Amino acid sequence: MGRIAVTGTSSFLGSRILRRLVEARGADAVVTVDIAAPPVALGGVRHQMLDLTLPGADQRLLDVLQDEEVDTVVHAAFFTSPRRDFAYAHELESIGTLHLVAAAAAAGVRHVVLRSYTAVYGARGQNPNFLTEDRRPEVNPSLRWVRDKLEAEQHALAFAKRYPSMGVTILRFATILGSGVHTFYSRILAKRVVPVVFGYDPLVQFLHPEDALAAVDAALAKGPSGIVNVVPRDTLSLRTALHLAEKVTVPVPHPAAYALADLAWNSGIGPAPAGFVDYVRFLFVADGEKAKREMGWTARYRSREALGAYLAYRYPEVGA
Amino acid sequence: MSTRPRVVPLRSRATRSRRPRALLEPVTTRSERPEGPLVSLARLAQTAAQGLSWANLARLQRAVYFAWHSDEVDEFGSDRRFTETLLPLFEFLYTVWWRVETAGIEHVPAEGPGLVVVNHSGVLPYDGLMVKLALRQEHPARRDCRMLALDMFALLPVLAPLLAKSGSVRANPENGERLLTKGELVGVFPEGVKGVGKAFRDRYKLARFGRGGFVRIALRTGAPIVPCAVVGAEEIHPMLANLDWIGRPLGFPYFPITPTFPALGPLGLVPLPSKWSIDFADPMDLSSYGPEAAEDPILVNRLSEEVRSIIQRMIDGRLARRRSVWFG
Repeated sequence: MGRIAVTGTSSFLGSRILRRLVEARGADAVVTVDIAAPPVALGGVRHQMLDLTLPGADQRLLDVLQDEEVDTVVHAAFFTSPRRDFAYAHELESIGTLHLVAAAAAAGVRHVVLRSYTAVYGARGQNPNFLTEDRRPEVNPSLRWVRDKLEAEQHALAFAKRYPSMGVTILRFATILGSGVHTFYSRILAKRVVPVVFGYDPLVQFLHPEDALAAVDAALAKGPSGIVNVVPRDTLSLRTALHLAEKVTVPVPHPAAYALADLAWNSGIGPAPAGFVDYVRFLFVADGEKAKREMGWTARYRSREALGAYLAYRYPEVGA
Repeated sequence: MSTRPRVVPLRSRATRSRRPRALLEPVTTRSERPEGPLVSLARLAQTAAQGLSWANLARLQRAVYFAWHSDEVDEFGSDRRFTETLLPLFEFLYTVWWRVETAGIEHVPAEGPGLVVVNHSGVLPYDGLMVKLALRQEHPARRDCRMLALDMFALLPVLAPLLAKSGSVRANPENGERLLTKGELVGVFPEGVKGVGKAFRDRYKLARFGRGGFVRIALRTGAPIVPCAVVGAEEIHPMLANLDWIGRPLGFPYFPITPTFPALGPLGLVPLPSKWSIDFADPMDLSSYGPEAAEDPILVNRLSEEVRSIIQRMIDGRLARRRSVWFG
């Protein structure tokens, strides 16, 4: 059996996947492909320095994958929060994934596991309460953060179709929230005062990191399964989550919310551009039935427990 | 009687030596007169100002929120404590305000899936609430009916979370099918906006039943259809005129002019106390057609039309027997 290559090992999820793989299969079975050395002290893990945004990264990557006899790639090099240098984010996420799947297909890699987000479905008023994998994502085109993720998925699916020897599993994770995570949501939860959209209170899903890792294990064990939602056992209303975290909520009417969000984002204080207001106004709850059916995986934790674990770790003074 | 001015010490000897007093600390040593309301108010304000901090405000918001919400919702966002908080108000509307009378409620299956198809009226979706309450209070099995709410209500600020937390679900085929597959009782208003927002002169004339989506989900899941007629809801907000050009920018497909709204301001939002009746017809079992019949548009349309005429007949029967809008 070939090695497993892991990208994005500096990210929250990537570093944990790496650690888990090393613990389960030994350091020799894993190779990291990243622009930075893995942050965790894992003796003996092979590291290949590689920048996916550079032209020619695909050729370099092909050499690496062949040299290291890689047969499985876990691609987790994605930004969990929207970034202002969206051009770089596009190069890394969309083009980087294109390079990666092209090289993987050429190197005869059997299975590519792609880290994705339930946010790619888009938060829309017209969404059904539970989004299934066959639903066509309809993303606000102004949201580059989401668009790049979706493009990455599409590159992976297109290559899997063209090279039947290579299968993909696209894991659409719900918002991961748990000890040590640093994302868009953790940034919101770090604030004292949180603006909310007046008169709206959508359901949200928070995934415990342990569940996320177990899902990656299940995906690796099961082999290619296409798009799979990785979601917690239930949902939580956003307002409940914010009050459990003892936030002061300030309702903003939705016509003003979009403009204010953009104003705050452009002036450097807001956490996300206007398109994200949809994500605190409408639903984007995904259905976990397929993961259960095809990978035999179900979440152990509820959204409430994932939030509680995060708050207990990060804000022990809050009695959630 | 002495005219000599009396020296009143600002502080009594006993308190002088102690820590400096807060400006408005209660003066108990010389309380010949009870303090005035202004002083009480100022003291209250001062206490509040001293305790004012983001942390306290957050705790206060949290306490207020969890006083009527629980921290757990079901998969469609229904919050049990929230429902229980509002229940007395709804029960008042049910028993006192509209004096709802039901007939044929035993036609609703006691267990397993069922699709209750209801005529829609009344500008605001009180009819859904009352059908839900009827099944909860008067059905022998005390069934919980999940109403499928129109997008215009389910996406409206304030009403959106209110409906979701009190057990309504956004009307779309995926949600309906999911609930029926789980064996739940589901309520649906196939007339949609055309029904609930119809003019007063068109009262009790059923509008077109959408495109038969409700029949399709019943066929796919094998759930029986129970036609249901609500009489009385047309008169709660009689819509004399519709200024939809005001409503549309606010996300509401109509802006009703009723005898009380907007003339009486917020008071115009109080629905009129008509006398209601809710009738349930025999259930229609569609399971013999099989799930693939859902793809047959002619059959779907025929069944939809059949349900519509049953409801229209029930309404006409009630209206013929009704003497008064207010007393039934």
